[in-house]
Amino acid sequence: MNPATHRAKAQRIERSIAALDPTQFEAVIEGTMLAGTHWFNLVLHRAAILPDRNDAMHAEFLPLGTRRRVRVLLGEVLAAMDRIEALRTTHVRGDMPDGTGAAREALHALAVLRQHALREDRNGLA
Amino acid sequence: MKIESHLDKFHRLDDARQRLDPVQDCELWIWTCMNAGVHLLNAALHRIGATEATDSFHTQVEGLYVRPDRISGQLIDAVHPPGDVMHFGQPPIAAPLPDEVRQAGAALRVIEDMREPYVRGDATPSREAIAAAEAAYRDCVRLLGSVLATAL
Repeated sequence: MNPATHRAKAQRIERSIAALDPTQFEAVIEGTMLAGTHWFNLVLHRAAILPDRNDAMHAEFLPLGTRRRVRVLLGEVLAAMDRIEALRTTHVRGDMPDGTGAAREALHALAVLRQHALREDRNGLA
Repeated sequence: MKIESHLDKFHRLDDARQRLDPVQDCELWIWTCMNAGVHLLNAALHRIGATEATDSFHTQVEGLYVRPDRISGQLIDAVHPPGDVMHFGQPPIAAPLPDEVRQAGAALRVIEDMREPYVRGDATPSREAIAAAEAAYRDCVRLLGSVLATAL
């Protein structure tokens, strides 16, 4: 998927998240994963780490060499994506306490992804 | 997870689903239907004894769980028989399943199959596709609800 479509999908899913309350934390966290993955792919495409035809489905499952490159070049982006995925285990598939706090943390990680993606996108268009 | 936790999550996800528009919010709506259905499925599987209500959470890797230390909050990797499933058939369940559960699994598959084109991909679902997903979700909830009620 090309960066423009990733951007449109991420922004569309973010509008959906806005319809929810952080107390509906499972759906909020899942929304951050969906939107965040589109931002993540936008960054990977713009940074020429992955071609448009090859989207990452989960950061955890990137080939080892690719994941190491991303960690070196885009450490904050990878950390944000990993944080969202970790919150899915503990608060969507799991029942650890403070789901609302987890949703807020996921939204923060999503903001980090968005910020990086929009910057990469501007650089890519320049 | 415990049955009560699955049911709590089902209800919260179902409430969230009702706040979303199936067309305008199709990505998160599809995903929320799926997650709500999987929590209800896990509750039903635990209730009929097909899987165990273990205090562990399924990870993104099939068959790999984490067990929480409820005091320290630490998570410890674990591999054990299910346990919670991530999706119907993932991991596979050895026990024979009643028709209602198998039919609910097939209904969930209808929703899960929408992820690739409409969530990860950029296709727009037709009204017919949305209607099929809504019907599948209703079937899933009805079938699993009957299993949970019968086993109570």
